[in-house]
Amino acid sequence: MTSGAANTASRHARFHWLNTVWPWLCAASVALSLLMLGALLALLLARGLGHFWPAALEEVTLRSGETLAGEAVREVALPQQAGTEQLYFTGNQDIEGVRWRWVAVEEIAERAQPDDLIRLERSPWGDFIGRLVAIEENDQRLEGDAAWQRLTTLLALPASQRQASDLLLTTVDGQPLRQPLANVISAQMPNAMAWWQKAHAWGEGVWRFLSEGPRAANTHGGVWPAIFGTVLMVILMSVIVTPFGVLAAIYLNEIAHQGRLTRLVRIGVRNLAGVPSIVYGVFGLGVFVYGIGGSLDEWFFSDTLPSPTFGTGGLLWASLTLALLTLPVVIVATEEGLARIPEAQREGAVALGATRLEMLTRIVLPMAAPAMLTGVILAIARAAGEVAPLMLVGVAKLAPQMPIDGEFPYLHLERKFMHLGYHLFDTAFHGEDVQAAIPQVYATALLLVLIVLVLNLTAIFLRHYLRRQRGNEC
Amino acid sequence: MTPPRLTSSRQPLRLLQDRVATGLITAGGVGVLLAILAIGIFLVWETLPLLAIGDTLALAKLSPLAWGTLKAALAALLFAIPVALGAAAYSAMFMSASLRARIKPALEMMEAIPGVVVGFIAGLILAPWVERHLASALLMIVWLPLSAALAGCLWQLAKTRLRRRLPLSWAGVWLVPWLALMVTIVLWLAPWIEQQWLGGDLRQLLDERFGMDYATRNALIVGIAMGFAVIPSIYSLAEDALADVPTTLIEGAQALGASRWQALWKVALAAAGPGVFSAVMIGAGRAVGETMIVLMASGNTALFSASPFEGMRSMAAAIAIELPEASPGGLTYHLLILAALVLFIFTFLVNTLAEVVRQRLRRRYRQMGGTS
Amino acid sequence: MLASLHSANTSQAPVAHFSSEHSCLSIDHLSLAYAGKAALRDLTLSVPRHRVTAFIGPSGCGKSTLLRAINRLHDLNESVTHSGKITLEGQDIHAPQTNVTELRRRVGMVFQTPNPFPMSIYENVAFGLRLQQRLPKRKRDDIIEWALTSAALWDEVKDRLHRSAWQLSGGQQQRLVIARTLAVQPDVLLLDEPASALDPISTLKIEELIRNLKSELTLVLVTHNMQQAARVSDYTAFLHQGELIEYGPTDQVFTNPRLQRTENYITGRIT
Repeated sequence: MTSGAANTASRHARFHWLNTVWPWLCAASVALSLLMLGALLALLLARGLGHFWPAALEEVTLRSGETLAGEAVREVALPQQAGTEQLYFTGNQDIEGVRWRWVAVEEIAERAQPDDLIRLERSPWGDFIGRLVAIEENDQRLEGDAAWQRLTTLLALPASQRQASDLLLTTVDGQPLRQPLANVISAQMPNAMAWWQKAHAWGEGVWRFLSEGPRAANTHGGVWPAIFGTVLMVILMSVIVTPFGVLAAIYLNEIAHQGRLTRLVRIGVRNLAGVPSIVYGVFGLGVFVYGIGGSLDEWFFSDTLPSPTFGTGGLLWASLTLALLTLPVVIVATEEGLARIPEAQREGAVALGATRLEMLTRIVLPMAAPAMLTGVILAIARAAGEVAPLMLVGVAKLAPQMPIDGEFPYLHLERKFMHLGYHLFDTAFHGEDVQAAIPQVYATALLLVLIVLVLNLTAIFLRHYLRRQRGNEC
Repeated sequence: MTPPRLTSSRQPLRLLQDRVATGLITAGGVGVLLAILAIGIFLVWETLPLLAIGDTLALAKLSPLAWGTLKAALAALLFAIPVALGAAAYSAMFMSASLRARIKPALEMMEAIPGVVVGFIAGLILAPWVERHLASALLMIVWLPLSAALAGCLWQLAKTRLRRRLPLSWAGVWLVPWLALMVTIVLWLAPWIEQQWLGGDLRQLLDERFGMDYATRNALIVGIAMGFAVIPSIYSLAEDALADVPTTLIEGAQALGASRWQALWKVALAAAGPGVFSAVMIGAGRAVGETMIVLMASGNTALFSASPFEGMRSMAAAIAIELPEASPGGLTYHLLILAALVLFIFTFLVNTLAEVVRQRLRRRYRQMGGTS
Repeated sequence: MLASLHSANTSQAPVAHFSSEHSCLSIDHLSLAYAGKAALRDLTLSVPRHRVTAFIGPSGCGKSTLLRAINRLHDLNESVTHSGKITLEGQDIHAPQTNVTELRRRVGMVFQTPNPFPMSIYENVAFGLRLQQRLPKRKRDDIIEWALTSAALWDEVKDRLHRSAWQLSGGQQQRLVIARTLAVQPDVLLLDEPASALDPISTLKIEELIRNLKSELTLVLVTHNMQQAARVSDYTAFLHQGELIEYGPTDQVFTNPRLQRTENYITGRIT
């Protein structure tokens, strides 16, 4: 008897112990999610923005007497043994043949940050890290500080006005290099820069990232064509999806007989939002590209066959596919807005002698407008981050031509285009030198996340504002 | 003062406009709905030729992909379900209302982060890190929940003043630095533990003792990355279901002497069960169809392996890689479209099930006189 | 009294009949059902011109349903079926040649809760006008001022015509809705418990307005407030469970009801 009682008592005690622990595990789930989200955003922010901050250059002397110069990238533990090794970005691919160098920390005899180390951004061959000896223009030769002054003034000019001149350079271990100025994009002396100079350089770097085209197989330069392609595609998509989505929502909510069938259709539409985006991509490829595009080619562009015009992925097909993908988002949001309008408003309008069209256009649609806008913004946010379907219907690693140019008909719907998300994927996974591309990828990822988050926040605030407004009215 | 008489000369025109517009809207609406329906029809139509070929090899080619899809989804759900449901339970039942109003949108923001970004972080940053610090990563999976429990126990023992400063209702936030601290401790301790008990290198040990290969991009990575992507959708829906449980039910249970946790476990979860179930279903649908994360974090090797340390190739990833190269009308083309059809049907069924369950639940709450 | 009331025999519901020149609206054997469930049963009555007629009865008796039938608002709901006839000035409102929007212009309706549109006061009143015809601004302004004055609202809002109508108080909103309806110059004004959501002072204002408006048009008032019906109406119809129980001059219905059921309701014994 007593043991039985003790048993139940102890079971009770254990039960209570668990009772106190479970809520903490649940709380930790929230904390963990927040931590992961915060870590992700912090990582993107730090690495994406940090990439543009001029990094200090180190001159390293090894125990073997060898010297090298470069940017210290990261330090990791040596495999199989104690100690760490340091990865340096040394540049100078045309001289050394490699751009990266792993150095065991134990091997290092001396590390210094001399002020006169320069970093040249060049194309081709990537960065040069070393010293500037002289600058030669025609028969004039400047050395030392004067050479650096001259170089910065030359680089401040637009590329077309720069005088043809040669830079005489030397690496830290004494190998000379003659570099034509024409191939130099920018020059920095990061160790000698004050913080405000670095901040200025940082701002310039960010601006160039946003406004220039990519170089060196997408590992350097900017992402402007990708931004442009993304924005253009998303604009086209919203132009297509907004009227159709709104039309379908009005039909479902205001005109269709509210029976079993309508309810089924509504569930179906809702569920399409959960169908994987790649399935839409397959549909876009099969129907838009091969089906409609193929037929268009046969009818109108038969002279250029077999090279396809519309029968291959392009801007139009990508926009259409994403429009289909985001249609449920717009329909659902608009329907929610329509459903929230009090019936009294509709009856009020009708009782004054309005026809259904007048009721819709003068009362219902203006009241539902913020909800529609929310839907369109959510659709844009979804489309901007979507990559998988685009891989099937028209995105390009490097589009040779922008989809808008001065050539008739100015907007080229059949052209392939670049997209931020795909640019990120491609640079990160198909580049030749992934290591060199990673800072670029971080910056692209940050940009993409910022765009999508800002769009989503706009939608959230709009919806919040909407609810508050409705709340006042009731 | 009487106003001038109104004349209604515009009547016939207005009626005509109305008639025409109604017709146009109907046509447009039905057209759009049919276009959406066309997706299913197209997929079925394009897989019909496979029946004619009747090649069983075709299915043999798809089955590793199906396995990869399931493995990836399962790995993601193993990570996402406990975290998402725990978070949902906490924010619906324990969290302070003012905090909840901020945390919920923040967590829902997670859903907006593009898959390609998550995939990049997982494939290029997390995967090499885990490869080098496998012991730390595994230890963390064990230690983080334990440390949360530890925090709970410490809190019980703590002085009342401290407990008032750090209430349970705000634990979701102030546990963040605690967890961060725990992560640092694990990172600091793990190499030592690996040295002491695991013979220096866990990966070597796995290989020698269990014959397990270690691929850099593996199911573990996919699980964490895709779990991260799936958590918000499960969390959001499950939280809605739990928060909508009529408060009278929970207060009733507490009035009978149940603790808040018991009220949650016995009453709220029982009432919101279908909602939680549908949240998990939606999460599963998302995990099965997610393309970019699997593509970037899985290594894309079509293997039949259950090992968490080996890669896989999912149907969605295979479609994304192979379909642009497949010639239209060829066997591969039809096979990949079959894969798309399978994805379509699976997610559509799962979502429909979830939606029906959710609607039924909403009706039930309304009958219970709930707040929703 | 101009109306010649001839009482029906006891087996049939009592009906007030007016000679056609005094009857504005007449309802003839009207039955109506929501998805098969009867809401009105074989209703026959006629409403006199330039008078206030009140429909009273317990909630769910079909008085609002009847009002909405007169405006053909049930057209919006497909599950509603009806039989019988409603004639407005001798015209069958369900006849194929009848223009519904024109009918609704002629039969204004004011609902239980004020439903001003989310626009300015001015635009609310102009809404119906704009539907009907394009008017020069001067003329439109005149009509709007007239409508607002008729609804006893002009003095309160003339300085803020372009402010949002949702900023008005409940009573003002309801008078705005009446003004909005008056602006399209209806022949009949249907009021569905117009004061039930308002405070006593606003209610009094609305009642006064109703009494003043009867020189302009015919009013039909649905109310569950017996005193209100007694105060403002000239004729009262008592409905119960979709049937017309008693109909006659208000004085008579309230002071000397012919049927026990009416008396029970009026004295509060059934609700």
